[in-house]
Amino acid sequence: MNKDSQIGIIGYGATAYEKKTDRTLFSFLTEAGRAALDSAGLSFSDVDGLAICSFELPPDNTVTAAEQFGMSLSWAYLGTAGSAGPVASIINAVHAIESGQATTVLCIAGDNYDVGGHYKLMDNFSRGLRNYGTPQGFGGANGLFAIIQRKHMETYGTRIEDLGRISVGQRNSARQNDRALLRGPMSIDDYVNSRMIADPIRLYDCVLPCAGAEAVVVTSLDRAEPGKGVRVVTGYERHNHPTMEIAPLRGGWETFADRLYDDAGYGPSDMDFVQLYDDYPIMAAIQFEDLGFCRKGEVSQYLADNTFDWAGSVPLNTGGGQLSCGQAGIAGGMLSVTEAVRQLRGEGGGRQVANAKRGLVAGYGMVGYGHGLSASTIILETTR
Amino acid sequence: MTQALNYPMPSEDADNRAFLTAWREEGKLLLQKAAPDGRPFFYPRPICPYTGSADLVSVPASGKGRIVSYALVLRPNHPAFNDDVPIILAEIELEEGASLLGRIICEEASSVASGLDVELLPPADAKRYPLPTFRLQTSGDE
Repeated sequence: MNKDSQIGIIGYGATAYEKKTDRTLFSFLTEAGRAALDSAGLSFSDVDGLAICSFELPPDNTVTAAEQFGMSLSWAYLGTAGSAGPVASIINAVHAIESGQATTVLCIAGDNYDVGGHYKLMDNFSRGLRNYGTPQGFGGANGLFAIIQRKHMETYGTRIEDLGRISVGQRNSARQNDRALLRGPMSIDDYVNSRMIADPIRLYDCVLPCAGAEAVVVTSLDRAEPGKGVRVVTGYERHNHPTMEIAPLRGGWETFADRLYDDAGYGPSDMDFVQLYDDYPIMAAIQFEDLGFCRKGEVSQYLADNTFDWAGSVPLNTGGGQLSCGQAGIAGGMLSVTEAVRQLRGEGGGRQVANAKRGLVAGYGMVGYGHGLSASTIILETTR
Repeated sequence: MTQALNYPMPSEDADNRAFLTAWREEGKLLLQKAAPDGRPFFYPRPICPYTGSADLVSVPASGKGRIVSYALVLRPNHPAFNDDVPIILAEIELEEGASLLGRIICEEASSVASGLDVELLPPADAKRYPLPTFRLQTSGDE
């Protein structure tokens, strides 16, 4: 995107998360979209670009969703990068606005399934996984990420009790977030002793599948109420990297981390908070490495040396993240964005990071034959 | 044939038919490679992911490889596996250089470790499983 671009996020919204629901996907998507537009002071008729990221959307797509919503569009985007998609949709929305294809883009992410639905989803995720994973009882994402976590532990000496600091720190923050589905106290002992799901992945490494949606409005920052615009400074995505590796210990963020910080003019230690994709603590840990918060292979010590709740030395997933809020499918890749916007607008309530001016948001997703294929990251700044 | 369990099956198509047939009928693991001397790869596809070549040949692998890393899955994705837990799911690097996700059948899951050598199940046992499935190599010849 253009240097010093004055395009950003001027509204955000979300639905409540539900463990079981009779509501339709479109009901969730429209509620989150309306909430984001309300927060921006706009209505559906002001929108000329629509981006949707949702596993459950087929056989519908962004254009048939526009029919449901009654929108006339000049730009339509359908996420293809799993839960790296919402962050990617914002990058692409900025590009669409810069190139004149749209002026006001509503980016929505959401899904409505439960635990059983999640396993069905994983069984049919892609032809590769359906044909060569599902027939082996691979355990869904848990089995695949257990292979990655074990490899990281055996290659670098990464310790369970350090990974647990991610889950525990985020749970502390979730206790300040009445939207989080999981708000009970959690200690490192609770984490270490939680039930094994796919050794070495434990229960408190796993997200709770649920239903819900998140949305943001991307447009020119001069349309924001004073202090309520959040600038999109830069952003990149990467897909299927590295190629032909089943369980890589990196996820693609390392391919663009330098460009990200060159564009921003500052680096990881200058972030006031980070929102990483926390499908598992091991993947948040790998993002810390790939995005340069510590060196590759040294994340265990980095985790041991820092604290990760909203008031910690590295505020991470300050609303509790997916590990505490629940994972509403692809909404998990937008939960991080809406929380970042909330923080940068100073609307974090009991979990507000003091003086939050800059934040990094990373996405990850689209599990292939062994690992997530897609990585994305944006840097956001306050205009306050 | 003792396809005793109702495991979910791969869906057979023109890209994977030779591979699935070789396993089902002969207990062999076929790898594709670009003709004549490309790097072998898994899973089956219509082009070589290293070169883009569509001129592919299938070659039987020795069936021997090494555990790179693994999971002990206690909560399988499909109920057909509930009686098999823990499912030992491993990243296996084959002698030929290709890697795959493979199940390891082993009564004592705690004897599995990264770095150990594995081999394909004998053809008679192979029929029980939808995809090439492995066991730990014993120290001597069998």
